[in-house]
Amino acid sequence: MTAAHALAVLRERGPDRAAETVLLGEWLLAQAGLSGQGAEVTVAPGNARDRVVLRDGRVSGTAHRVPWARDAAQIAVLHDGRVLVVDRAAVTIQSHVNLAGDTRDTVVFDGDVARTGPGVDAGALFMRGALTRIALMAGALDRVYEIAVRHAGDRRQFGRPIGSFQAVQQHLVTIAQQAALAGVAAGVTASHPGGFEVAAGKLLTNRAALSAGRAAHQVLGARGTTREHPLGQLTRRLWAWRSEYGDEHHWSTRLGAGIARAGADVLYPAITGGSRVVSV
Amino acid sequence: MLHFAPSELSEAELALQAEVREFLETELPRGSFAPGLGMAAGRDKNFSRALAARGWLGMSLPRRYGGAERGAVDRFIVVEELLRWGAPVRYHWVADRQTGPLLMRYGTAAQRERFLPMISGGEVSFSIGMSEPEAGSDLAAVQTRATRADRGWRVSGTKLWTGGAHENDWCVVLCRTSDEDDRRKGLTQVIVDLRAPGVSARPIAYLDGSEFFNEVVLDDAFVADELVIGAVGAGWEQNTSELAYERAGPERWLSTYLVVEQYLREHGARDTRAQAALGEAVAGWWGIRALSLSVARLLDAGRAPAAEAALVKELGTRFEQEVLDAIWRLVPDDPDPAADSLFERLLAAAILGAPSFTIRGGTNEILRSVAARALRA
Repeated sequence: MTAAHALAVLRERGPDRAAETVLLGEWLLAQAGLSGQGAEVTVAPGNARDRVVLRDGRVSGTAHRVPWARDAAQIAVLHDGRVLVVDRAAVTIQSHVNLAGDTRDTVVFDGDVARTGPGVDAGALFMRGALTRIALMAGALDRVYEIAVRHAGDRRQFGRPIGSFQAVQQHLVTIAQQAALAGVAAGVTASHPGGFEVAAGKLLTNRAALSAGRAAHQVLGARGTTREHPLGQLTRRLWAWRSEYGDEHHWSTRLGAGIARAGADVLYPAITGGSRVVSV
Repeated sequence: MLHFAPSELSEAELALQAEVREFLETELPRGSFAPGLGMAAGRDKNFSRALAARGWLGMSLPRRYGGAERGAVDRFIVVEELLRWGAPVRYHWVADRQTGPLLMRYGTAAQRERFLPMISGGEVSFSIGMSEPEAGSDLAAVQTRATRADRGWRVSGTKLWTGGAHENDWCVVLCRTSDEDDRRKGLTQVIVDLRAPGVSARPIAYLDGSEFFNEVVLDDAFVADELVIGAVGAGWEQNTSELAYERAGPERWLSTYLVVEQYLREHGARDTRAQAALGEAVAGWWGIRALSLSVARLLDAGRAPAAEAALVKELGTRFEQEVLDAIWRLVPDDPDPAADSLFERLLAAAILGAPSFTIRGGTNEILRSVAARALRA
């Protein structure tokens, strides 16, 4: 599975362990020269609270918010520019979930490192992670749009479909616009995952998640607020992914700082040329 | 279902972009002119003619009418560079964007021969005479009336918000030529000579004190038969046809661009507040530009993306205001419209111009209704 294919799978199917393993786990191993050694590896995304210590081939400490950790064969964590790969059996898992109930375990290390390799940049992993979240969020927003539009056509109140009311139509337009923005963000970043594109793309999808999510819940009314309704599962995931691999503050200040370094004369060339013109 | 697809510019399109940038840096270097905000920029007939000499006016028109037979994407590229530079586009703006394509599609052969070469050459200016005191968003309510006369029509009524009527040559006027049960029938577009007897323009002072908009009073003004656009009674269809789709261009999301660029030039972005505002703005332009470019690609593919264009215009014009607010919040004092600082002058102009962004060319409320019709499961 190529990266572009894996991103398409994420966008189409939602959180998919294999796709995420390809995009993050296999990629990380390849960076460290550890490819092709079998087992499925999940990646600790790198949380501000993480503390990892390596001494004499033994790793100790904790990594937070690790997807699929309890089910993975091995867990990869970054330490000082190296990848440390640890067997599932050598760690203790504290089960945690995100807003949507998806696994985001805390991994407690206290054992041997199974494999290790050099040359991995935590910033590159962060970019790569953001790329996966952009694809996931764009896909979720496509489905939020479908659900809202279908409901507005089917649901009748005051003797007519609620989608015939202008106030409801305005929500649908917001959802369509935000899903479209997330869609181009995912489309561009899948084929051109430069720093500028990922920064702008994650920023746009984060904003889209909030405004389209809110508008869709308003269209669905009370029905969309139940635990079983598909809308709720989508919005809960959107809200969780919003924070992962960079929230709005992170990406807006980072993008703005990169643009400011380049200067006013290249502001527009940066908008049209992205990472060919500026580094973010 | 809506169709948006991101696309890259081709080698030829990138070459055009580079050519326009080089032209602007050479012919209109920064500091040598007073840059304006989008469509509200300055008026300079010589500059319009210089663009025409490069083949950048009437770009979509056939060569026999002085056009370049280029597509919507090529025009998109030229227009976005002109607008982000703050170039004086006002002389040719309406003629190039609206009247040229309108006459190409609906005009008579004689009208094309007469007007299109002048439009491509930057030698004629047009106004748009649609709104009236009692016909704003509800355009079918126009009361300006044309009655039959010998070899033409006598037109009487009042047009409102007619941009540039005091300085332009011609005005395309939507008027009622007959009363029908369906209000959308019996409407006709005619070309009115703005200097003809019975035509007077009274300026309306806008918020910023400028007098670009006019009230145009037509008092028994004569319009010859050869200046009726297309068929009598076809005015509504002409207005709502795919010409409207071409109105989701860069002018709908670049009106406040220069405020940001000039802020950056004068102040930099050293703290996180300024960086965040800049980052948000840049991400917005990047995304909306991709959507707007996608509409241009659909036009070149022969599609009719009415809903997509309405969505982009609605999104883009609100974004213009959001960008402005974000930069405005970085400034401690209210800006002086006559300040030494170009940034301050642009900020003042943008604040006072912003209310019109989401009104002109179709209010955002109307656009949402247009777009919503296409949103079906």
